[in-house]
Amino acid sequence: MDRETRLAWLVDHYQRPRHKGALADADARVPGGNPGCGDIITLYVKDGTVSWEGTGCTLSQASASILAERVNREHTSFEDILAITPETWMDLLGREFADARPQCALLALGTLKAAVKTVEMNRTLKAAGHTDEQIKELRCAIDSLEA
Amino acid sequence: MPQTLAEVTDIATRGYAQPEVLVSTQWVADHLDDPKVRLLESNEDILLYETGHIPGAVKIDWVTDLNDPLLRDYIDRPRFERLLRAKGISKDTTIVFYGDRNNWWATYAFWVFKLFGVENLRVVDGGRLRWIDEGRELVTDVRRYPEGNISVKERDDSRIRAFRPQVEEHLKRSGKLVDVRSPEEYRGERLHMPEYPNEGAVRGGHIPGAKSIPWGRAVNAETHTFKPAAELRTIYEAENGLRATDDVVAYCRIGERSSHTWFALTYLLGFKNVRNYDGSWTEWGNTVRAPIEKP
Repeated sequence: MDRETRLAWLVDHYQRPRHKGALADADARVPGGNPGCGDIITLYVKDGTVSWEGTGCTLSQASASILAERVNREHTSFEDILAITPETWMDLLGREFADARPQCALLALGTLKAAVKTVEMNRTLKAAGHTDEQIKELRCAIDSLEA
Repeated sequence: MPQTLAEVTDIATRGYAQPEVLVSTQWVADHLDDPKVRLLESNEDILLYETGHIPGAVKIDWVTDLNDPLLRDYIDRPRFERLLRAKGISKDTTIVFYGDRNNWWATYAFWVFKLFGVENLRVVDGGRLRWIDEGRELVTDVRRYPEGNISVKERDDSRIRAFRPQVEEHLKRSGKLVDVRSPEEYRGERLHMPEYPNEGAVRGGHIPGAKSIPWGRAVNAETHTFKPAAELRTIYEAENGLRATDDVVAYCRIGERSSHTWFALTYLLGFKNVRNYDGSWTEWGNTVRAPIEKP
């Protein structure tokens, strides 16, 4: 893909974002980003489907749209999501843009990985005998510690 | 111009110490084809320029153009001079910055240019947002200019830039510090952002004694233009006890938002000794035993 084509692809995803919106009763809802900087992403995962909400720069929002489109289209497994390296993702977006703003380029990927890990941990907790209510309380406690 | 657009007052009537450092969007529109004027767009959003920019403007990127690719520092004089010449800048060129996010990256570029002693610098009051709100033209074609002949001085980091040891000394003298980040960052409630490995910090809070004055307070949220001097004095002097004669250090996360406050204090209010600590919280909040206050 040449520079102009890649630029048009990114801008198109920014202007016509795919899979944008909240997922009701999501298995995980994970926020990411820096309000002080301006890029905000929230990733939703439900039964292997991904959606997102967010505001921010062209690259961060286009990256989220492209990621959600790929994962949903290719039914990417959790294992494969976690195996996507930052380098691979930045290569896909285009080094001429991603190298200058790695945080923006990687925000969606990192947040999606955090969401996937949340789902996996919830499953582990459930397998260990915790109820949904107990898991929810644990999550609230963890969130309050992180805040 | 849309009828609902909030009016802005004339820059000359706002009581600024150096009003000539700001130009209005109309001034820009009147000088689009002035060969002695070079518009530079400096954004947070690396793709924004490509989606449309003021006719004739060239892009300057704080990472790829101004930062050294290896050291956490700015480029050296030869590279900076080549950069400016490549953008068609000569010794008699008036350089006019504008950008997204209410000009915080424009003032950052302005500050870096000042480190090299470049004169004839201006900022478009209201920046990119004001230009767009007024319904003015954006284009995608990139204009090329013949190479310029500007010569720049060696970078002088002594007057308007502060390094951590100097901030530590400043702290010992109970010097005035301004933390321009969001209140959440100042209070240490927002410690590190998920998957923000390059700009995170191990500790949250602020440098002891720093006043919390978010950078955006200097800007009218409706018009994106700078507030008049009287309002700025209320914010910085009456509310927070700063004086124009104070030695002030401003900081944020990586020095970009604080360049906006440096600009407002220096040029709009006439403060004589303001330095931007570009190491900012990403350095301070990661430094072993650096003192931190957290309310």
